[in-house]
Amino acid sequence: MVTLAKTPRVASTNAVVRRRVRANRIISGLSIAATGAGLFLLAWILGYLLFKGFTTLSLQLFTMDTPPPGSNGGLANAIIGSLLITGVGILLATPIGILAGTFLIEYGRGTKLAEVIRFVNDMLVSAPSIIIGLFVYQIAVAPVHHFSAWAGAIALAIIALPIIVRTTQDMLQLVPDALREAAFALGAPKWRVIVVVSYRAAFQGMLTGVLLAVARISGETAPLLFTALSNPSWTTSMSSPMATLPVVIYKFAGAPYQDWQNLAWAGALLITFSVLILNVVARSFAPRTRN
Amino acid sequence: MSEPHLSLQTIAPGASSGPLADPSFNPKISVKGLDFYYQTGHRALKDINLSVADKLVTAFIGPSGCGKSTLLRVLNRIYDLYPGQRATGEVLVDGENILAPNYDLTRLRAKVGMVFQKPTPFPLTIWDNIAFGINLYEKLSKPDLEARIEWALRKAAIWEEVKDKLKRNGASLSGGQQQRLCIARAIAVKPEVILMDEPCSALDPISTARVEELILELADDYSIVLVTHNMQQAVRTADFTTFMYLGEIVEFGQTEQIFSNPTQQRTQDYVTGRFG
Amino acid sequence: MTQVAVSASHGQRGGAHPGRVGNILFGGSAWIFAILVLVLLAGVTVSLVIAAAPAFREFGFSFIWTEAWNPVKDRFGALPTLYGTVITGFIAMIIGVPVSLGIAIFLTELCPNYLKRPISTAVELLAAVPSIIYGMWGLFVLAPLMQKYIEPAIIGTLGNIPLVGVFFQGPPYGIGLFTAGIILSAMVLPYMVSIMRDVFETVPPQFRESAYGLGATTWEVVRSVVLPYSRVGVIGAFMLALGRALGETMAVTFVVGNSYHISTSLLAPGSTIASSLANEFAEADGLQLSSLMALGFLLFVLTFSVIGIARLMLMRLQKRYG
Repeated sequence: MVTLAKTPRVASTNAVVRRRVRANRIISGLSIAATGAGLFLLAWILGYLLFKGFTTLSLQLFTMDTPPPGSNGGLANAIIGSLLITGVGILLATPIGILAGTFLIEYGRGTKLAEVIRFVNDMLVSAPSIIIGLFVYQIAVAPVHHFSAWAGAIALAIIALPIIVRTTQDMLQLVPDALREAAFALGAPKWRVIVVVSYRAAFQGMLTGVLLAVARISGETAPLLFTALSNPSWTTSMSSPMATLPVVIYKFAGAPYQDWQNLAWAGALLITFSVLILNVVARSFAPRTRN
Repeated sequence: MSEPHLSLQTIAPGASSGPLADPSFNPKISVKGLDFYYQTGHRALKDINLSVADKLVTAFIGPSGCGKSTLLRVLNRIYDLYPGQRATGEVLVDGENILAPNYDLTRLRAKVGMVFQKPTPFPLTIWDNIAFGINLYEKLSKPDLEARIEWALRKAAIWEEVKDKLKRNGASLSGGQQQRLCIARAIAVKPEVILMDEPCSALDPISTARVEELILELADDYSIVLVTHNMQQAVRTADFTTFMYLGEIVEFGQTEQIFSNPTQQRTQDYVTGRFG
Repeated sequence: MTQVAVSASHGQRGGAHPGRVGNILFGGSAWIFAILVLVLLAGVTVSLVIAAAPAFREFGFSFIWTEAWNPVKDRFGALPTLYGTVITGFIAMIIGVPVSLGIAIFLTELCPNYLKRPISTAVELLAAVPSIIYGMWGLFVLAPLMQKYIEPAIIGTLGNIPLVGVFFQGPPYGIGLFTAGIILSAMVLPYMVSIMRDVFETVPPQFRESAYGLGATTWEVVRSVVLPYSRVGVIGAFMLALGRALGETMAVTFVVGNSYHISTSLLAPGSTIASSLANEFAEADGLQLSSLMALGFLLFVLTFSVIGIARLMLMRLQKRYG
């Protein structure tokens, strides 16, 4: 870093320079303080989560269903529910998202249509998930008059979709055109060029996108309140209401029972660590910038 | 390699004398009245008339932006990938106009292979890189496919270097090896013409020498069109040379004549290094 | 070796186009799914309008500025929740903007290299923590602290200042709009920092270097080179974060207080659109359900306008500087 410390003669003699250096010190100090405060706050949140979560963490969490207040229980039904709904959601979103992202780069590049879709997709990436929940309630819950895991999976798929579209598009954009031309020059049909050459070259980045989407939807709570709702007992039927970790955490944390609150913390710990681990794994796949 | 048995007479663009009229000149590709436009409407090629001899090397030289790469990219219609680019006129390959809308692109690209400026190994194994092109056209049995891949790699003078690592990723090779892999990949489809777009510009001098040697060997069996900004390379490898400037062919003739006895002042200026 | 197979004639190869069907299937489905993205947005808009229609028919557009939320008498209006949504978002920005700016400046200009990666990674990971975790922390840690120490202190000092004082009066509840705003600011902080750092990195190094070369201090480089250059992107980053804060549900619902009464004091309980939806949706039907949908529609319009403007700004930055 080039600072005036390297020109001491001027700095010590000139009042203007001294004032500038002082302003710089103040701002730098504030900026360091902001970083410190931010990191402290976030360490506090995670530390507290670890502390509260670990005290309840036990094998029982994975073997017993959510209990009524005042009795023993675990989170087994919520864990399986989360896995199922997240899994189905990502299975729905991945092929659709990858193909849509493919269209934006391989077919529509430079067209008005692709521009508009890209813009709308970027808006959907940052759309509040609760809005998506309301939408899916309208199309998948209200018409059949009951909440279902299917509706939850659809809601999560709609949240994951724009993320996958976005990363697919970004990663395909990094594939050099020369590679595509070389495949076309051999006479390969377009779909083969895309599948064999473009996808192969962008594979790691696209995988990162899908994993980040999994991480994002596995912590979603709001849209599930309107779609999958919850279920006090174990079920794997996609057409019935189903418990999920985030919704159970929401319900139990807000309740006035100590044992429910403890379960909520344990669930929060599980979900946070799954999300963080997914993120770390996803980022390890991310392509290093090549020349 | 075979020496072109041609008289040293020269031609002006579009002239009906010279190599175009020489009975011993057997054209593989004839370009007639070709114009080329980019999306912007910019006319990048203006009334190009040219013949590419069968089983000889033809080089396109000229300063950057003169249209030499553009012309090359018309010969296998790779420009088709970019909507808005269009070519008018005629390009005859074996007497058939490849610019005709109903001309089968797949057939064209099987017949006219291409090697690019930067090596373009696909993100696949060395084996799969070669097999990719073959599988587009033929369903070979395993031993036949193996034989074909070995043949192509040998032909591209890279077999000895890669025979023990066919399952490795193509990108793991050095730049010069990658480029020869790409040449092998083009050959494996058994084209009749190979287009090379500055194939050595990303390579070191030693790799360049190897690729140039390879070009000379391949000219026994294939018609080669070489775009280069390196005039020495044209001298070393090409039988015929075309000098282009601002989208037009200034002069076309035997390489020796273009470099030692050009008819046009601009050619003279360029080959002696006075501009470009 | 050269003689192995230079014989097959090109005519017999390929035959019909093996790629044609594949191209149509693949390209066609790619097109359909890309269009689906547009259909989604249209679907969200239409479904919310339909669901909200009964409420708007009953109350007219005055629904938007009516201060009422009474399920017993079936009288509903959006003002209390709109107010809560905007105020909590505003508080989040007031706290979040300077802090995130400070962190982003630290990361791009001051941070020693060996700290850059760990801090950046920490920021990325924290942006990924589910929002319900922030909500729980707010409920169990922050709210008691606010009630016991921070709010009494604020009421005792700021509350006595004329004019400004009305915003900081009343009993210390612990929960309320102010606490919700603080939680929101913590939640959007890593998100803002991460976008802003990307935006700062679009400034070409030569610009920075030439300013430093003139003897400018870090702060002067930030103020005169980095910020002017990336202004559009920085504002875009703030707006994107605002859009997120406005629509955030789980971080807010626990601590906002769930009151439909608008109080002048920021410390008083209130509610946001998202928190009312989370709290009441499951038990609502009839006019109440439609009113909730109408709230959802208003939230949709609000957040999508903010996000849309933000995206336009970020796009402009991208276009101009590649």
